Amino acid sequence: MRLPCPHCGTRDVQEFTYLGDANVKRPGADEMSEAAMTRYVYERDNPAGRQREYWHHSSGCHAWIVVTRDTRTHRIESAEPAKPLVQS
Amino acid sequence: MADPSLKTKWSRHSAWADILTASPSDAARPCGVNVVAREGLGVAGIQAQRGRKAALSALVKMRYGLELPTTPRAVRDAAHAFVWAGPGQWLLVAEQKESFAELSELAAVSDQSDGRAALRLSGPNVRDMLAKGCMIDLHPAAFPSGAAAMTSIAHIGVHLWRVDEQPYDRPAIFDILVARSMAASFWSWASASAAEYN
Repeated sequence: MRLPCPHCGTRDVQEFTYLGDANVKRPGADEMSEAAMTRYVYERDNPAGRQREYWHHSSGCHAWIVVTRDTRTHRIESAEPAKPLVQS
Repeated sequence: MADPSLKTKWSRHSAWADILTASPSDAARPCGVNVVAREGLGVAGIQAQRGRKAALSALVKMRYGLELPTTPRAVRDAAHAFVWAGPGQWLLVAEQKESFAELSELAAVSDQSDGRAALRLSGPNVRDMLAKGCMIDLHPAAFPSGAAAMTSIAHIGVHLWRVDEQPYDRPAIFDILVARSMAASFWSWASASAAEYN
């Protein structure tokens, strides 16, 4: 598989490190509970299909990117910087 | 920068000392790959402060006369090269050690002069040799003059860029930087990969 790094261009997947689901949000102070934290830390969906996921271009530009990928076909729908580029 | 009046047992030691040995140049026998150890360089990692990218760009333009690249490219003149090193980050490579203090007003500057080991690779088989370990396409159509990349070769992180303005069908010249601690490992890969062309 090759991933289109928005900074470097298309690179082999060996250059990247996988983190996982990019939709997970840490519970805020008002919604913090043991159950919410357990969900946040341990529970993940394992979709057969479209997933937004974090990848780190660890052997390249060291930027985190969000890739939208089909887990069945490895078809890449989009890849974008995980955080807006450092303000010029 | 070392103070010459300071008494110390420590002395500067080339990153390639005890790794590269000079080979007698034999002009009658052309080599497929030529290797030059780039020593005595001043190298600095530069990361623009938040919101100061345009100001940094202007400072570099004024001080060095070079345009900071915003895509994976290297811009250079005879004395300095600015090589893209990720969004908002660059590697400054100076032919001679010098102070980078001026840039620290607008950027985080870290002196890497003794932290990197640099080689310049050229010759008619340089792409064949690099292709044995480099996952990116270095064909001139994909990696033209001035192109730069951070990638890995034989599991070793490398920063490489083209330093030539050669026409499309001529062999390119590449500068490669690796972490100093990986110099021996990198040379182990490079010498084995180039062996068949020499």
